[in-house]
Amino acid sequence: MAREAFLPRVAIGGVPLHAMLVPFPIVCFTGAMLTDITYSNSPQVQWANFSEWLLAVGLIVGILAAIFGLIDFLAAGRARPRIGWFHLLGNAIVLVVAMFNNLVHSRDGWTGVVPTGLTLSVITVVLMAVTGFLGWRMAYVHVGRTVGERP
Amino acid sequence: MTRALLLVASGLALALGGCSKPHFTPDKQYGTAVPLPDPVQYLFPPMGIAKPIGWKNGEMPKVPAGFTIVPFATDLKTPRRVLPLANGDVLVVESSSPGTEPALRPKDLVFAFVIGQAHGPTKAGNDVVLLRDTDGDGKADQRSVLIPKLNSPFGIAFSNGKLYVGETDGVREWDYTPGQTTVSGPGRVVTELPGPPIDHHWTKDIVVSPDGSKLYAGVGSNSNIVENGLEAEKDRALIFEVELPSGAKRPFATGLRNPNGLTFNPETGQLWTVVNERDELGNNLVPDYLTSVKEGAFYGWPWSYYGPHVDVRVKPPRPDKVKQAIAPDYSLSSHVAPLGLAFAPADWPAGFAGGALIGEHGSWDRTVFNGYEVAFVPFAGGRPAGKLQHFATGFIADGKAKGRPVGVAFGPTGALYVADDVGNVIWRIAPYNSAVAKPAAG
Repeated sequence: MAREAFLPRVAIGGVPLHAMLVPFPIVCFTGAMLTDITYSNSPQVQWANFSEWLLAVGLIVGILAAIFGLIDFLAAGRARPRIGWFHLLGNAIVLVVAMFNNLVHSRDGWTGVVPTGLTLSVITVVLMAVTGFLGWRMAYVHVGRTVGERP
Repeated sequence: MTRALLLVASGLALALGGCSKPHFTPDKQYGTAVPLPDPVQYLFPPMGIAKPIGWKNGEMPKVPAGFTIVPFATDLKTPRRVLPLANGDVLVVESSSPGTEPALRPKDLVFAFVIGQAHGPTKAGNDVVLLRDTDGDGKADQRSVLIPKLNSPFGIAFSNGKLYVGETDGVREWDYTPGQTTVSGPGRVVTELPGPPIDHHWTKDIVVSPDGSKLYAGVGSNSNIVENGLEAEKDRALIFEVELPSGAKRPFATGLRNPNGLTFNPETGQLWTVVNERDELGNNLVPDYLTSVKEGAFYGWPWSYYGPHVDVRVKPPRPDKVKQAIAPDYSLSSHVAPLGLAFAPADWPAGFAGGALIGEHGSWDRTVFNGYEVAFVPFAGGRPAGKLQHFATGFIADGKAKGRPVGVAFGPTGALYVADDVGNVIWRIAPYNSAVAKPAAG
């Protein structure tokens, strides 16, 4: 079925800014979960601090990526892919969870991570795995299909 | 379902401590056996920053009936400690933090900005200033720098012809006779103390024993609750006993998170101190305290507070240390930030003689301000014997700080001097009709 191609608006040389930035929160939130797990097993301060920086950078760049993605999505008009709604709402939840997680991690000592910080980190990564998959699917399968179908 | 939602909602509300009001007023926590609420873990810990505005012309703190107050000296550069000498000269330590603490977490960046709002614009002198009242009117009319360019000094003491200053990285001494207006040389290092780079609690208060043989130095912790690692707390959160003149030192009492106002009780000869306890557990936790310092005693930090109350933020836990921890003598209530302590002379007015005067810098870790005053605790037989009273007040109004008391000390004629580091004033409080001595000739 022919649809108009969903081509992201905010791009440099055809490469969308959203896609350029989105690896940062993916890697940072995944990393924070790993350092949280490490800290809970061996309470060395460097792991907790590592988590805090990863969560902070992940959130800030994640918000930036979200803004660009939102612009792309709203500007798409009839080409707006339905799967994009799940990606958008899912990632909004991811960012909200990450925001709370940043605040939890700002606590001093053990309770910055265990149990709430670690739990939120794991929830973030699990959610992100789903929403991230939807995002990549949108990029490679859906967009690829529509582009491929253009005469 | 509703119960679960309510639980989540109340948990969230609790966690948003920034909006939380204290469950009881500070006076419920004055004394020896005080209520300690359960600790709460926050998203935003309760906070209240008082904007520093200074005193307008003629404004002064309020003191009890029977006392007068005058500004002994004004326009100082962040005075912290005051040392009146027997000849009437008054030495003042001006200082600020070394500013070397690195930002190791995102929170440090945010926190530095927030706490910076509580500091006035004055650039600290980081020196010792000599004040002299030559015409006997109760106000200093001569002022000069006695010892310049010190490294974040705080404690100061005079004994047996030596002037001691507790800089943030060690104690120095100079030969000194009261009446001198200069000292020679950079001073001799008596002993080093743990200082920068982190130096989270940088003030090193000192006192010399009445017999002149030992010097005691307070060293505050290097964190709130070991968030910089336990290794950073080596030789921290304790009071050192330093042998004079050799400088050999040993821990005298440990587990004191940030001890200042080290003072000997004139009646009993016992060492006393005030301590700033830990933050971010709630508006009414953990109360700051006034306590006698027992040789070899452990007062809990970091593993516990007020004896057996375990702080779950510290891992790995040490139940053996918690078992050893003793409770302090007298709670001043939470987050008052006591920094100065002095015992009133025996000839002070009835009801005040022999009692403890405490300079309370004031809270930042509480939604409702606490402290920002000179408090008074009655003593009898060298021990606290009554409820805390507000002695000098009016330092804070409408959430703005006109002044913040730090060090307190008595002069030879029984006047109380108070260092105020936001007002940049040394206040002189005296019983009405007491004498103002002219400085000794020569």
